[in-house]
Amino acid sequence: MTLQKPGDLLGAIGGVPMPPNEVVVEAAGVEKWFGRLHVLKGVSMTVKRQEVVVVIGASGSGKTTFIRCMNHLEKIQGGRIFVNGHLIGYREVGGKLVEDREKNIAKQRQEIGMVFQRFNLFPHMTALQNITEAPLLVRKTPQAEAVEMGRALLARVGLSSKENVYPNQLSGGQQQRVAIARALAMKPALMLFDEPTSALDPEMIGEVLEVIKELAREGMTMIVVSHEMGFAREVADRVVMMDDGQIIEEGTPEHFFTSPTHERTKSFLSKIL
Amino acid sequence: MPVGIAVIAVLVAGCSSNASSTVHLNWNYFFDSVFHPDSQIQNGLWLTVSIAITSQLIGVTLGTFAALAKMAKFRPFRIIANVYIWLFRGTPLVVQIVLFYFGLSVAHIYGWPTINFFGIHIDGAIQAGVFALGVNEGAYFAEIVRAGILAIDPGQMEAAKSLGMTYGQGMRRIVLPQAARVIVPPLGNEFNNMLKTTSLLVLISVPELYTVFNRKQGNYFAPFEFYLAAAVWFLLLTTIWSVIQAWIERKLAKGTAGSANAGPGLMDRLFGRTPAVGEDVPVISGGR
Ligand SMILES: Nc1ncnc2c1ncn2[C@@H]1O[C@H](COP(=O)(O)OP(=O)(O)OP(=O)(O)O)[C@@H](O)[C@H]1O
Ligand SMILES: [Mg+2]
Repeated sequence: MTLQKPGDLLGAIGGVPMPPNEVVVEAAGVEKWFGRLHVLKGVSMTVKRQEVVVVIGASGSGKTTFIRCMNHLEKIQGGRIFVNGHLIGYREVGGKLVEDREKNIAKQRQEIGMVFQRFNLFPHMTALQNITEAPLLVRKTPQAEAVEMGRALLARVGLSSKENVYPNQLSGGQQQRVAIARALAMKPALMLFDEPTSALDPEMIGEVLEVIKELAREGMTMIVVSHEMGFAREVADRVVMMDDGQIIEEGTPEHFFTSPTHERTKSFLSKIL
Repeated sequence: MPVGIAVIAVLVAGCSSNASSTVHLNWNYFFDSVFHPDSQIQNGLWLTVSIAITSQLIGVTLGTFAALAKMAKFRPFRIIANVYIWLFRGTPLVVQIVLFYFGLSVAHIYGWPTINFFGIHIDGAIQAGVFALGVNEGAYFAEIVRAGILAIDPGQMEAAKSLGMTYGQGMRRIVLPQAARVIVPPLGNEFNNMLKTTSLLVLISVPELYTVFNRKQGNYFAPFEFYLAAAVWFLLLTTIWSVIQAWIERKLAKGTAGSANAGPGLMDRLFGRTPAVGEDVPVISGGR
């Protein structure tokens, strides 16, 4: 496996983390129920190495739930999700899914970075500590190395001066950039973003999207739930439209701008564009 | 404050005017106990403070484990924690103290032999007392810890997990340190209670502060003077603790400027807090 020439941002973690397989995400027929509410109705999706997929869809259509299933923050009741060839969250015993041991699930999650709508930074830790915590604790990275990587990441997201600052002293945009750096510090082969800019004031959306665009340019494999269609047009290889727990339309960003076919897609796009 | 002084003045005046009747108060008993405490009182003080600290530590430890067990996925842990809390909150502490000390030894289950701890002999009654106070406190403290953990945004544990941490790692490094900030104020109140509750150990003759004064008042038949002195000593202990508590909370609040508030000031702590109209007062339950 050859590493790409390290880009600006991913250079901070020693280059693009290369997923071992050509296919990074393989979700097949995923079923999810919250009690009696059928939230995912047989969702399938394939994401290839270095692909950027943007997921759109109305509120409640199941976008968040779907990407949370990908790192087993939600259990699934049917179907399979493979990331890097590993069946996520389960072992297959006689054709049936049995939840995997916690240790194995934690190990699988190390390969999958997640960025939340509400940042979820650790408020009792400085920006730098937020980034170094998991490498130190989980990957057992030596302190000096973790700090060096943390500083490099902070520099690349433009927050060198905020190293020793606590999250509550950072703006929303700055917090989200730290959160992205925190996820990258684990050198994930896949990054999941759940509406990373929807909790931000308009003037801060750009700075966060810039970082994500840079990641895309450098070859990070990503699934981004976002309604920022301008962003999707720039970086998405594929846009996926979800509606009522199903994927109803898929295509290039251009397709969605020029010739969406599904009625629900048309009416949804007319609301957000 | 001035009201308090007035009350004491009236009390003292009332006492001296009664001096002509059959009741004779010997104020020297009171002043000596307060200003020249003899070795019995000094030892009692020391014992009260050390029993309170040890029992509180046991309570915090047990309470934390009970809270975690109560929230565990594994059902037997939840059952054990719930039974523990149910038993110790559902029965009087007084009964627990005598049952542990007299009950267990008479039933030949455990005789509470004196133990030697780094050269200090610890009497069986003290051990039983600390055990009862600590285990009882743990049952109450579990609810405080649980409330503290539940007060933390579930997104924190999810973020920890998404970074590859296990539940245990996320709890230890991410959730509990944040919950600790929420837990410290009620913990301070619990310790204030603990300092006073040690006096129940008079039931099993542990020579703590109250037991010492209880004996003295009997020996000299001067209940008013000695009990009043006991009250002064306990008041001194809880007041000193309030000062320490206020200091700790100010320190903790500094760590994250802006987020945590420093909690009530010393005056509010000592004389009770009356919230202004429309003000939100955070309530953390767990008192008995
Ligand atoms: N923990 C939960 N318990 C019960 N129902 C849930 C839970 N989480 C989500 N749901 C329901 O599942 C459905 C899909 O929710 P989800 O959050 O995945 O939608 P979404 O597409 O991300 O919406 P939004 O654009 O508002 O973020 C909704 O009807 C929601 O109410
Ligand atoms: Mg969502």
